[in-house]
Amino acid sequence: MKSFLWRLAGHLTRGLAMIWAVTTFTFFLIRLMPGDPVQVQFEKLIAQGMSPDQAEAATAITYGFVPHGPVWRQYLDYVTGLAQLDLGVSVESQGIPVADRVFGAMPWTVLLVLSGILVSFLIGVGLGVVAALRRGSLTGHSLSIAGSLLHGVPPFVIGIVLAALFTRRWRWFPSGGQYNGDKVAPGFYADFMLDVAYHMVLPAAAFALASYGGWLLAMRSSVASVLGDDFLLAAELRGLTRWMRFRYLARNAILPLFTVLAISFGLVFGGAIFIERIFNYPGLGMMLYASIGARDFSMMSGSFLIITAAVIVANILADLLYTVIDPRVRRQT
Amino acid sequence: MSSVPNSLSAGAQSKRRPPQRPVGGGVRRRFWRGVWVALKRRPSRIAGLVIVTLFVFMAVAGPWLYPDRLPYDVDNVYAPISWQHPLSTDFEGVDVLALVVTGTRGVLLVAAAAGVVTMFVGTAAGLYAGYRRGAADSVLMRIADFVLTVPGFPLLIVLTTAINVGTWWKMALVLGLIGWGGLARAVRSQTLSLRERGFIEAARGLGLPTRHIVVKELLPNIAPYIATNLLLAVTAYIYAQVGLYFLGVLPLDTSNWGVMLNAAVFQSGALISPDALPYLLAPLGAILLLTLGVVLIVDALEEIFNPRLREA
Repeated sequence: MKSFLWRLAGHLTRGLAMIWAVTTFTFFLIRLMPGDPVQVQFEKLIAQGMSPDQAEAATAITYGFVPHGPVWRQYLDYVTGLAQLDLGVSVESQGIPVADRVFGAMPWTVLLVLSGILVSFLIGVGLGVVAALRRGSLTGHSLSIAGSLLHGVPPFVIGIVLAALFTRRWRWFPSGGQYNGDKVAPGFYADFMLDVAYHMVLPAAAFALASYGGWLLAMRSSVASVLGDDFLLAAELRGLTRWMRFRYLARNAILPLFTVLAISFGLVFGGAIFIERIFNYPGLGMMLYASIGARDFSMMSGSFLIITAAVIVANILADLLYTVIDPRVRRQT
Repeated sequence: MSSVPNSLSAGAQSKRRPPQRPVGGGVRRRFWRGVWVALKRRPSRIAGLVIVTLFVFMAVAGPWLYPDRLPYDVDNVYAPISWQHPLSTDFEGVDVLALVVTGTRGVLLVAAAAGVVTMFVGTAAGLYAGYRRGAADSVLMRIADFVLTVPGFPLLIVLTTAINVGTWWKMALVLGLIGWGGLARAVRSQTLSLRERGFIEAARGLGLPTRHIVVKELLPNIAPYIATNLLLAVTAYIYAQVGLYFLGVLPLDTSNWGVMLNAAVFQSGALISPDALPYLLAPLGAILLLTLGVVLIVDALEEIFNPRLREA
């Protein structure tokens, strides 16, 4: 238990350090941008007849730091603001704090991504075992090729195909939104949740299709390497049933996949931009996309920061899950 | 001739058996024969090679086959499929096949250049970290972890908005510097396991210079991992670019599969009208075909370098 807490503390420190690094990076990126947007807004406000003090205050609210004074001062303001979850104010929709909008969008993306990953993990692992056990046969070979192909195809291709088929060609699913606001109001009751699920099917399916191939391939090679282990031979000699041996095999083979799980979060959140754009699903990715179209830089850095933070948190969770599942890791630390 | 059956039986028996060959001309010849044998085992792999060669050919020669400004014909929008327009025409009456072919070069050029950047940075960082160990290792791997953790595509979008990536080499540099983390990790773990092996120890014992050990002893053994990783990285770069254009983050004034997709999906409503379907399907088909080619080649590479996956 103590080592577990140490591990958690280590992860949290590293995660915070990473978030800090990303923060610093985005801060300087915006400063370095051609025609520094902060300076531009400041000058625009002065040109509109504001006094320098007022303009400075207004710009500071938008970006979370003051456009004048030494860079380290601005940076400090920005970071202290962030520590209080103050991400500035949206430039485009004036007056609405970025944090509100971003945290409003986040649950939808997390819901989508998690259900997509869960489905693809289950399907991929199952098929991966089949592909490894039958790897000499046509089944195994075609499973692997199909897996690698879908793994290789970028998510937006799958998204476009699904959208074209199921929202336009056959109108089986809605073409946008998280739920139908005309029919149901948000709340904890069956109709609303069904409607949310109905809107989520296609985007989640796109995630799942785009990523199950990776699981399949990882599980296949993991099973292939565990198959040669002595403990399986021993189990067979002891006369254990096929089912028991399969359980031995599966428990050991699935372990390395949790490290892959950690890496895949970054990819999946990256893919969220496409999937949400294609299916008009208003989540974090859509927000990042919209902010770029509108050149809304505080919104852009805010949503980018939250996406990164979400990936880091997901990584930590995946790693902790790994410690729970694999006793060997627990003992090492 | 002899090396292949040998490695086959060894692969079936022993568990850990990465290739440990002495380096020299004869080995190189045997390597190419191994490649040929692996290709021949499944005709699909030769097909993969043909597909990828076709795309490279399109990238090199494509723009020479067509005039700089593709002819358009407003009266012939979304023309039916014919010999003249094998893949129909787009919303301005431009031949879709021509668009696909001319769109190849820019994407492939940037992706290849980015691949070179990734290869140099990733290999150098991985080799140095794995061979030197110590503080340099921890620092480099922290950076690699950072690059791996930060979600690549959002970062790419933010970067391309912030920096003007108008020229191809800037785009390549940005892509290459985002994507080196995975390669560095793979190279490092290989270096770590190889440096304890007998032949490296022997080389160190002989007092050979580090440069010799790294370049002549380590690198040839790591090359397969670099090759596989690189091929996948280049494919990812192609898709990242197509994705950027598809979202409309980059200016849509070049010929690119992503530009076609953007127009087809978001602008001209090709999702709805069946006439425009070829215009949507052509870039999708190009991406699928390229993926298929790369997958088949990686399949061959894996068998050449990792005999454990070979079926008994």
